[in-house]
Amino acid sequence: MGDSQYSFSLTTFSPSGKLVQIEHALTAVGSGQTSLGIKAANGVVIATEKKLPSILVDESSVQKMQTLTPNIGVVYSGMGPDFRVLVRKSRKQAEQYHRLYKEPIPVTQLVRETAAVMQEFTQSGGVRPFGVSLLVAGFDDKGPQLYQVDPSGSYFSWKASAMGKNVSNAKTFLEKRYTDDMELDDAVHTAILTLKEGFEGQISSKNIEIGIIGADKKFRVLSPAEIDDYLAEVE
Amino acid sequence: MSRGSGGGYDRHITIFSPEGRLFQVEYAFKAVKASGITSIGVRGKDSVCVVTQKKVPDKLLDQRSVTHLFPITKYLGLLATGMTADARTLVQQARNEAAEFRFRYGYEMPVDVLSKWIADKSQIYTQHAYMRPLGVVAMVLGIDDEYGPRLYKCDPAGHYFGHKATSAGLKEQEAINFLEKKMKNDPLLTYEETVQTAISALQSVLQEDFKATEIEVGVVRKENPIFRVLTTEEIDENLTAISERD
Repeated sequence: MGDSQYSFSLTTFSPSGKLVQIEHALTAVGSGQTSLGIKAANGVVIATEKKLPSILVDESSVQKMQTLTPNIGVVYSGMGPDFRVLVRKSRKQAEQYHRLYKEPIPVTQLVRETAAVMQEFTQSGGVRPFGVSLLVAGFDDKGPQLYQVDPSGSYFSWKASAMGKNVSNAKTFLEKRYTDDMELDDAVHTAILTLKEGFEGQISSKNIEIGIIGADKKFRVLSPAEIDDYLAEVE
Repeated sequence: MSRGSGGGYDRHITIFSPEGRLFQVEYAFKAVKASGITSIGVRGKDSVCVVTQKKVPDKLLDQRSVTHLFPITKYLGLLATGMTADARTLVQQARNEAAEFRFRYGYEMPVDVLSKWIADKSQIYTQHAYMRPLGVVAMVLGIDDEYGPRLYKCDPAGHYFGHKATSAGLKEQEAINFLEKKMKNDPLLTYEETVQTAISALQSVLQEDFKATEIEVGVVRKENPIFRVLTTEEIDENLTAISERD
């Protein structure tokens, strides 16, 4: 990967043993728009702010939440262009798995392979780490799952997590509100309330995106009308 | 041999700075402004229009060879604001990609697919040290079979969005402010209104009245989805219409 002139890693250890490029990548994530995910008893919800740089931008042309397979969805905080690269690679890996085993890829496997890609970019020659953290929401035979993957390539399974600008407030809020036996609908309400906590300006169906996956194992992004309904219920 | 792990190299190649920024990408944006021209794009109800300044720095230059407006296919146009050499590379690759797409899949490459391809290529330059980002902001326009008139803007960072109206170049922010006011209530502009909004926005922001030879205008219309550069006469008609209107 990369030209021969750059066949040395740009991410190298500092004297104190840190990989500073990864730390800087995490800073880039921390200045991105807030996103969060909550695992309920019967599904997973992921949500994100969708603040566009101008009212002239056609918001119907922008979708931050992406489907990796019919039963796995993903959202990010950080650099949009880097996210597109990861989505493309993950989709391909899921498809290759399916071609080989004639089965949909389990969530853990897809997360592991995506994380491996992110780790490669912290060690290969001539490249920088990805400036995104991912929240992967899926539902397979093992039930509903929520994973967070960081620029370093490390990943953990979460009951609820947040990333981006408002991460500490959001996580505190989630810690208070989370219960193990939450239903998917309650989780959506909690997600909206959490986003609202740090939201600058008026929250509406045009400046947030919500994706859910329920027992039907189909990930889908909610339409603005559905988000409006949930917002009304929360008021 | 250069080592890049902070230590000053975050300004030379696209690695992260301590604040999590990519300086090379930010400098690429500055290079776009340094070209000294401003461009504007407006999407109407059934047409898209892009306008840019045509500055010919030397009277001895052949004016016809000075252009920032390029047809990519018969139906897709690209307005490149910024470094002309980088623009020509981008246009060449885009033309190749669009032609291969048509051959491979049997239908014309849609506007958003081309924009995504350009943006994904730009992202690679922000992540791999061996190539610098291009100092070009590309506005892609065309009529989509399903969605109608489309205007996309792709920048050196790898972002791409669909726009109702947008601007790039030296007076980008002033132009966007002007356009936000004009497009606030989502007006459905006719073809003439689209062209005249774009030209008058440029005139207002640069605070000068143009001659027809000082600007380039490109359009696509639903009734005639071929990308066309307006002739000097047509530009003149629109300029006259604008000055009579005011």
